Amino acid sequence: MLLEVLLVLGTLLIYFLFSKKKEETLPFKDGWWGRGQKPVTKEDSGIRPFKVETTEEELSDLFRRLDQARFTEPLENSCFHYGTNSVHLRKIVSYWKNQFNWKKQVEVLNKYPQFKTKIQGLDIHFVHVKPPRLPEGQAAKPLLMVHGWPGSFYEFYKIIPLLTDPASHGLGDEHIFEVICPSIPGYGFSEAPHKKDFNSVSAASVFYELMLRLGFNEFYTQGGDWGWLICTNLAQIAPNHVKGLHLNMVSVSKLGLTHLLSILLGRYFPGLFGFQDEDVRRMFPFLKKGLYRILSESGYAHIQATKPDTVGCGLNDSPVGLAAYILEKFSSWTDMEFQNLEDGGLERKFSLDDLLTNVMIYWVSGCIVSSMRFYKENLQKGIGTQKHEKLTVQVPTGIASFPNEILHIPQAWAKKKYTNIVSFHFMPRGGHFAAFEEPELLAKDILQFVDKVEKEQLWKKKGE
Amino acid sequence: MWRDILPNAWESILSRIRHLYLLSPVEVQTSLSVKSISHCCCSTQAILYLPRSFEYSQKNAVLVPVAALGVGGVLFCWLKSGHKMKIIDMGDGWWGSEERPFKGKEDATIRPFKIETSDKEIEYQLAAQGHMPAAGQPGKKGSLPQDLHQRLDRFRFTPHVEGAAFHYGFNSTYLRKVVAYWRNQFDWRKQVEVLNKYPHFHTTIEGIDIHFIHVKPSYVPHGRAVRPLLMVHGWPGSFYEFYKIIPLLTEPAKHGLNEGDVVFEVICPSIPGYGFSEAPHQRGFDSIATARIFHKLMNRLGFKEYYIQGGDWGSRITTNMAQMLPQSVKGLHLNLVFIARQSLGRLIRIMLGAYVPWLVGFSREDARRFYPFMQKNVYDVLRESGYLHIQATKPDTAGCGLNDSPVGLAAYILEKFSTWTDKSFLYQDNGGLESKYSLDELLTNVMIYWVTSTIVSSMRYYKENFSKDPDLSAHNRVGVYVPTGIAAFPQEIVHVPRVWAKDVYRNIITYSYMPRGGHFAAFEEPKLLAQDIMQFVQKVEQL
Repeated sequence: MLLEVLLVLGTLLIYFLFSKKKEETLPFKDGWWGRGQKPVTKEDSGIRPFKVETTEEELSDLFRRLDQARFTEPLENSCFHYGTNSVHLRKIVSYWKNQFNWKKQVEVLNKYPQFKTKIQGLDIHFVHVKPPRLPEGQAAKPLLMVHGWPGSFYEFYKIIPLLTDPASHGLGDEHIFEVICPSIPGYGFSEAPHKKDFNSVSAASVFYELMLRLGFNEFYTQGGDWGWLICTNLAQIAPNHVKGLHLNMVSVSKLGLTHLLSILLGRYFPGLFGFQDEDVRRMFPFLKKGLYRILSESGYAHIQATKPDTVGCGLNDSPVGLAAYILEKFSSWTDMEFQNLEDGGLERKFSLDDLLTNVMIYWVSGCIVSSMRFYKENLQKGIGTQKHEKLTVQVPTGIASFPNEILHIPQAWAKKKYTNIVSFHFMPRGGHFAAFEEPELLAKDILQFVDKVEKEQLWKKKGE
Repeated sequence: MWRDILPNAWESILSRIRHLYLLSPVEVQTSLSVKSISHCCCSTQAILYLPRSFEYSQKNAVLVPVAALGVGGVLFCWLKSGHKMKIIDMGDGWWGSEERPFKGKEDATIRPFKIETSDKEIEYQLAAQGHMPAAGQPGKKGSLPQDLHQRLDRFRFTPHVEGAAFHYGFNSTYLRKVVAYWRNQFDWRKQVEVLNKYPHFHTTIEGIDIHFIHVKPSYVPHGRAVRPLLMVHGWPGSFYEFYKIIPLLTEPAKHGLNEGDVVFEVICPSIPGYGFSEAPHQRGFDSIATARIFHKLMNRLGFKEYYIQGGDWGSRITTNMAQMLPQSVKGLHLNLVFIARQSLGRLIRIMLGAYVPWLVGFSREDARRFYPFMQKNVYDVLRESGYLHIQATKPDTAGCGLNDSPVGLAAYILEKFSTWTDKSFLYQDNGGLESKYSLDELLTNVMIYWVTSTIVSSMRYYKENFSKDPDLSAHNRVGVYVPTGIAAFPQEIVHVPRVWAKDVYRNIITYSYMPRGGHFAAFEEPKLLAQDIMQFVQKVEQL
């Protein structure tokens, strides 16, 4: 009898020992994504300044397409439940044609210095903003900020001044950053990969090379949407170079028994599963806020992860279609309740100029198809199957949890992957496009996170 | 309560056994205790030592008749329910844009209609679809070919990744070839003449204009009956899919099909929101509303009993029609079966069927088409259903760009004609499209969506049908009792074995494994489908 008990205990012990997630690093993914064969000669590693340009031809082509747009009348009382409401879309198109000034917006884009450099066969575009002034003896901390879909580097234009010049915005000058915002290959002004399999690990490897090329040995990273995954991968590839990882979105790819139990019982026994009151408020009722929300909002991800070239084809040809597709996300991902409004609540949190500038980046660069391919490259084998999804992150992590994010992940769940969470805060307002919508809230959270990491020199501890 | 009844029952069992086997009380108990009635152990020990009640026989006298009555009652109800068929409630609806008129009946005239090319404006046609004039240009539009050619000319092309074939969607290199053909060789005017070779009509039902073609046989031999046949298309198809099969059904002898005495007059309507049928202006227009409207259509045409045939949405609509008004449906023929209900039992049968197909009622051909299960029924379906997911949630977004870019529309639609015809076409750079269809045919179907601006309303149909909880949907609980014929094509997206189809279709007369062909059966293999329809109808006529 005793023997049996000991055997069972022994097996359990061995199982737990071996099932503990190993703290390996993710290997750096080298690649060649340019056209054809990789050339024998060494790649040109120069950094060239870049400016966004526009031509009269580009504008008149756009206007012609806007003029000849064909709309379909929405169903009565459908608001934004069926997608972007075409009655409201017509108003936006009218603004786009008559009041939106792309030339002026290009000047806005060019106010921050932009560059291009060739990495792994692709021309990588990035914005690099240094602080205008630095107090005596203080060095600027490099911060890599990565955007997502359907965003772009432009999402960071309101938060950059808060981070490079915090004193002028009432945020104290203890930590001043120099900010680098690259465009993910296939987005905006970064060249699109010509080969298959360019996934988040590839992007992280490319950005890692970029930071090294810019001369940064240690840096902070920040991201949401795809930026969340790319920055996470970067922290897994080079944990000794990433001082801190800050995220405004987290996702889990493996739902195990504990997750299931906490979904079923977490409402009644929150303490048992490590849920706080705010967690319960945001997550339950789970069917409505979890499952149905995912199902109703993930159609785009499903089709982009399977047939990107098909769905993007028409969007690269119809600016109105492109705007409808992209702006729908800026409506429902900012606040799910906006679907009940006839105008989708679009202008409550963003200006039409800002929204259309983002759309124009996709239009003038013609990158909508390649931006969608990123979904296929990351998701085609299914969620939870890739190696990096099984590895943990030991780098000091700060999470800003916004209330209107599509899916709320409690700290209890995030802890399983991010083993070194230094700060986890419930933000008072804001949705998916945090930097775009609530730059000040996000900047404050980044600053307090960096403050913690610097004060306690946390990045040095993680080697143990 | 059960403690009172159980000892009595136990007593009677014991006494009977004792009578039969002349055992002592203790021996009986020991031999019986190994059975499952362990919870009775305590009470049985107690009752065996109780003085036997003289009321025992009286209780018996009450229990038995009550039990008999109960069982008889259940039997009676079950028998009765077996005869009463459940049907879907027909209901009513109004889909027009204005308020439903209180007085005066709806205009029930049937108006002939000809599709027009537009050297003239096609504004009238578009207005009927609820289409709004282009932004900035109220009312006037250029001629169709001009406008179309301009859009084709300025299409913005994105190079695909190396080695993509059709795995990422429609291959853009091949798309360029299609666009070049469309721009330079495709003759829309000629195709419109082709479309007009069958008579078209419009009639208003429930507030919207329903388009249909009605083809009668040109020559009917003396004494032969002509059967009315309603054929319903799906997405992304149209009434045009039936143009090759119609002659085989209306004049079989001329085409070498001598399937007995069966000759049809064919009616192919356009689902509201598709092609030349007006799109509903109200929310909630689903397959049941469509079924009701098509019944009204057939009624208006003077038919009391008719055959119905369908695939894709047509399959669901015709199934609903059979569930709604079985007395009007002489026979139901399908080339696609939708099975929505999964259960634990089915899951177990799926797993067993991989090893012992005969045990779960699968034929060898079923097993060949159905397994490997995960690959064919889960991964393949997930890979192909992205369009369904986005159309069932955000149709207005998904369709917006497609209504504005003809090339985008063509890529979206033609991708289905590639993959749903043969899954192996994914590996070909040209998607295998021209191996089964001509570019003229494919583009004519696309043009129907383009000139009528119906891509968005066609997508809304997915949301209207899928946003309700499937378990509450009527057709999942109501059986189909009309004679049914199923043509199972090998390259259909998902194969449904006969034994599963029987769950819903209780009266399958024919179930045929077709030798070749995919989802667009009427378009791709008209002869095979026509033959199957005819042999099905023949069997039904002989019933």
